[in-house]
Amino acid sequence: MNSWKFVLIFSALITFVAGQLLFKRAMETSHSHGFGKQFAVWFVPGIVSMTVSFFLTLGLLQHLELSYVYPFQGLSVIIISVAATFLLKERLTLQLALGALLISAGVVLVSLS
Amino acid sequence: MLRRALGWLGNPWLQIALNAIIVTISELCLKLGARDTAYLAHSWSWTGYTGLASIWTWLGIVFVVLSLVSWLYVLRLVPLSIAFPLSNVVHILVPLSCWIFLGELISPRRWAGIALVLIGLFVVAKPFARIEEKL
Repeated sequence: MNSWKFVLIFSALITFVAGQLLFKRAMETSHSHGFGKQFAVWFVPGIVSMTVSFFLTLGLLQHLELSYVYPFQGLSVIIISVAATFLLKERLTLQLALGALLISAGVVLVSLS
Repeated sequence: MLRRALGWLGNPWLQIALNAIIVTISELCLKLGARDTAYLAHSWSWTGYTGLASIWTWLGIVFVVLSLVSWLYVLRLVPLSIAFPLSNVVHILVPLSCWIFLGELISPRRWAGIALVLIGLFVVAKPFARIEEKL
């Protein structure tokens, strides 16, 4: 279970991050194109990705404490901040980067306890 | 009057806070669902699908769907690189409610982590408050 545990946690994390990016892109599209086909192109893969992440997390929760499993998602703060800068062309200020690092460090600390 | 109430409800700050509360409720429900079904052994149980045998899991799913709707609304208004770090307030709310409602323990190290997350939230929220003033 031990190494599998981390493979599953990592998979849940990646599918979660991908889902967030797809959702944001979908909502950006909805500003100009409404909620039609253009929206669905981003939204549907986002839902699929999030659903996979959801069930992987549920499986992990059957074997581990919630307050242990959940904080691993905290690493997603850093991954999402970086990904939003490169993939969504959002502006990453020094203050935002610092805040993201603090939050991630805090969340990891919570998860180690 | 209604428009004013809706305008207030549309406040991104309020929506992020509301979203965090909904997420926390969903996490607690899912944990209860997983706890109820942990004994169900099956070769595919690592996928978590056996959790569906508990009503708590279904209630959790309802709250997950609600949180998705409220989160999409937040994403319409706020950049992901600001909204997502702020949504991490759940990492404070979840351990606190695990402690209060599920009787899980919070070690000193975990309290320190919670404090660090809180500081990070303030650092991220400050420029966000300035952006909102400009709107």
